[in-house]
Amino acid sequence: MPDWKQELAKRLEHLEIDPGREAAIIEELSQHLDDRYEELLLGGSSESEARRTVLEELERSDIPAWALPSTVRNSARRAPLTPAALPSGNLFADFTRDLKFGVRSLIKVPAFSFFAILTLALGIGATTTVFTVVNTLLLHPLPAPDPSRLACLYTTDLKNQRTSSDVLPVSYLNLKDFRAGNTVFTSLGGFSSPMVMTLTENKNSERFFGEIVTQGFFEALDITPAKGRFFSPGEISAPGSAPVAVLSYSAWKVRFNSAPDIIGKVLDLNGSSFAVIGVAPQGFLGVSAIFGPDVWLPATMAQQVLTAPMHDVLTERGKPFFQTVARLKPAISRSQAEASLQPLATALRQQYPDANAGHAVSVQPVTTALYSSTGGERGLQFVSIVLLVLVGLVLLIACSNVANLLMARAVKRRQEIALRLAIGASRGRLLRQLLTESVLLSVLGGIVGLVVGYEGCQLLWSFRPPDVVRNLVGPKLDGTVFLFALLLSIATGFIFGVVPSLRASRTGLVDSLKEETHIAGLGGRSARFQKTLVAGQVALSLVALIASSLFLRAVQRAYDINPGFDHRHIAVFMMNPEQIGFDATRLKDFHREAAHRVSKIPGVASVSWASNMPFWASASRGVVIEGQEQQRKSETLSTITNAVDVRYFDTMRIPLLEGRAFADADQEGSLPVVIINEDLARRYWPSGNAIGQHLRLSGDTVTRHIVGVVRTSNYATLGEAPQPSIYLPMRQNPGGNFILYVRTAGDPALLLGTVQREIRDVAPAVDITDVRTGAKLMDQVLWNERIVLAMLGTFGLFALALASVGLYGILAYSVSSRQREIGVRMALGASRSAVLRLVLRQGTTLVCVGAGVGLALSLLIGRIFSRMLFGLSPADPLSLAAACLLLILVAMLACWLPALTASRTNPMRALREG
Amino acid sequence: MATEKSDDREWKKGGAELLIMSLLEEQSRHGYDICKLIEARSAGALRFHVTTLYPLLYRLEERGLVHGRWVEKPNQRRRRYYSLTAEGRKTLVRQRQNWQGFIEAMSRVMGVKNA
Repeated sequence: MPDWKQELAKRLEHLEIDPGREAAIIEELSQHLDDRYEELLLGGSSESEARRTVLEELERSDIPAWALPSTVRNSARRAPLTPAALPSGNLFADFTRDLKFGVRSLIKVPAFSFFAILTLALGIGATTTVFTVVNTLLLHPLPAPDPSRLACLYTTDLKNQRTSSDVLPVSYLNLKDFRAGNTVFTSLGGFSSPMVMTLTENKNSERFFGEIVTQGFFEALDITPAKGRFFSPGEISAPGSAPVAVLSYSAWKVRFNSAPDIIGKVLDLNGSSFAVIGVAPQGFLGVSAIFGPDVWLPATMAQQVLTAPMHDVLTERGKPFFQTVARLKPAISRSQAEASLQPLATALRQQYPDANAGHAVSVQPVTTALYSSTGGERGLQFVSIVLLVLVGLVLLIACSNVANLLMARAVKRRQEIALRLAIGASRGRLLRQLLTESVLLSVLGGIVGLVVGYEGCQLLWSFRPPDVVRNLVGPKLDGTVFLFALLLSIATGFIFGVVPSLRASRTGLVDSLKEETHIAGLGGRSARFQKTLVAGQVALSLVALIASSLFLRAVQRAYDINPGFDHRHIAVFMMNPEQIGFDATRLKDFHREAAHRVSKIPGVASVSWASNMPFWASASRGVVIEGQEQQRKSETLSTITNAVDVRYFDTMRIPLLEGRAFADADQEGSLPVVIINEDLARRYWPSGNAIGQHLRLSGDTVTRHIVGVVRTSNYATLGEAPQPSIYLPMRQNPGGNFILYVRTAGDPALLLGTVQREIRDVAPAVDITDVRTGAKLMDQVLWNERIVLAMLGTFGLFALALASVGLYGILAYSVSSRQREIGVRMALGASRSAVLRLVLRQGTTLVCVGAGVGLALSLLIGRIFSRMLFGLSPADPLSLAAACLLLILVAMLACWLPALTASRTNPMRALREG
Repeated sequence: MATEKSDDREWKKGGAELLIMSLLEEQSRHGYDICKLIEARSAGALRFHVTTLYPLLYRLEERGLVHGRWVEKPNQRRRRYYSLTAEGRKTLVRQRQNWQGFIEAMSRVMGVKNA
């Protein structure tokens, strides 16, 4: 016996019968059909004949909804065809009904739904990824309550207090006085930047980032530890008194495998033992949006963990070492706080003129400190906006693709819509229903988009340098992102749904017949709209492509920027023998012996030591120029200080402009000498007589003799504005934290292993914490740019792919609806190539119009982001040409395929079937 | 055409309802039974399909003229049997009179015309 239930269910589907009642009706009717079937079999029909007859009888008239009484009908009261079109007067009920109807109509066209949802998911997903970055870095950079009440205290120039962006940290003793004397903060604390320390466990040493913090740091942030506690005031007041440590959440999780017994564990850091007393909350990186330490230690332990030159940070008022964070008292603004601190600053100037001459105090928002390592909040905001705009373009293209699909579908649904209007559905009601469908589509796209966004973030974050993964900020995919994706989806649904719905709901029966003939030739209003959409897509994708090709060229250019030293055959090796207990004599021997051994390796051209990493320096010490103290007191210049060994300038290929380089004779006990850079020389001795002059570092009593001037190079980042810098001879400024610079004749990467072996031969216990070649240094300094480039490139290609699909779709559709016309043309003698040309011309026109608009738009937009381009013109002909060429190639391919189909039309068949 | 068709439909519907109620007057019956009886008694001139019969039955049920209930018999599938309600009986009597009056009138008119 055949099962009729499915056949019946299909026929009853559009009637919206109560599910319970529907089951009973189906049962009753299928019994009837069974009886009829048996009767036919008894009458001599075969099984298949009987089945066919029953179905035919069923087919003869579908059950019309009017035939059903209201107790059976659910909502099908007056609408025979598409019941959802009529208002019930209850918004919510209408909405649920529209939603159900929408789900059913999407299920009916699975290919359409799949493609539309996929397109939207990619667009929404990409946007969600970028938004997650914004959310992580800009919206929620600090997991502390009420971050707007947080501020930072900086040392600044007295003279340029308002305008100076040149802010310095605060020295420990000054900080202590500000803590004691202020009336505007509930709490004020200081912290160092993350410093490389050595964690030793079972005789293995590894790199560990540590920050030292003063009293008031955790209190000002007002955060709660994930485990244990933070430092108590007793632990953080007397120097050397409390060897305790607070671990970062990710260090606890990753390095110590979330050990439950972590509290009380003893860590050997730089040769001193520290007991873990707490674990910081998840996502807390200290006061930084990007990079956090593995451990926080009390500042009072500075002597135990810092290298020798920094042993005096707690006692030397002239060493501005600590960044600060403070919580403002309620109802006190930053400017009020700053004003009320000035008397304190004045008192400090008068009391300690040596250390504080020319210095004032500035209170800045906490964002200054949060983004100090990323070139400020502004830059990040700018990059975020550029990325959001570009990803918005991709989303717009996705939207217009779906709008195009909807338009094509609306043509097919024209009759249905016309009938609904004819039986009395209002246009507004119909519009609402069509919009519900498109929003449903976009919300489904949004749900898949969240998954795409999540994967996008995983992909993006996988580009983190693997050795600092636990120190870098992780993606914050939280409620804000979720809400964003939801709102974006709904908005998207309206954007791509409104025009097709408006058009569809305007359909009249007569109109619908009229347009049916128009659309075939891609004429008519709808078709014009579709063509506009496609040209728009071409334009937007060209904008995205131009942006990515400009940026590609800009990053290439950035690699060619001369940083003032030759990075190409350089490798640097970081180690800190002092942290495993080397004293001054052993250090000196080690440095000499290691440099000597490495210089003997075949292929090594030159070797030297220096205290600074390339692109890792920041201005920290003020200089006082002898003879100019009085006039310039208020303009104490902060400089980048680098202690370097002999042959440093040779190794780095930094040209010596005047005087001499350091020599072996510049020893401890000999005349204190210094080499300055061109920028510093030009500021103080514009007439060029710097050699033989003297200067003093603030907080230092030694007067140093200038013996040389070298060319200014880039110290903090690539292509930076010139900064003053001074070089001190390493032998007059010994310490444990020197970096070995090796210049090779060939590729430095080949010698990395050999150099490390030689160093280990000299001192097996020394841990080489980091090794970088010059190329890697450049990669790292351009890391942000490369990530942005990767994202822009992805979005550009994405936009191109979507626009090509849109172009292909509309041409293929046009070709299929023109089959008959093409058939007639060919029957009348048009050649294949003529047909090919005909379709190609149609596509080319769209592409050319789109490309023209896109080019104009790019030139306009290019001006805005020209500052990201390292001096490249936003109208760079090569970038524009490359982008246009790629676009035209791909677009032509998208046109070619439908054109080819058209030219292969069999005229006879087309005429018969068309 | 369309108007003619729908008039025809309404007219047929009224007649069909009367047919169904008449058959239920004697005893309660299930849908297939009703179909077969109509076909047999009209000698094949009137034929109801699933899609015509059941909507009429449900409509009559809604108006309270017939009553449907599921009946289970041993070794048989349960079936829905329809019977006439008291209201249905009254309506049947009234409609039957109307129809008879109507048919007589028609016959008279047509008889005169034909003659």
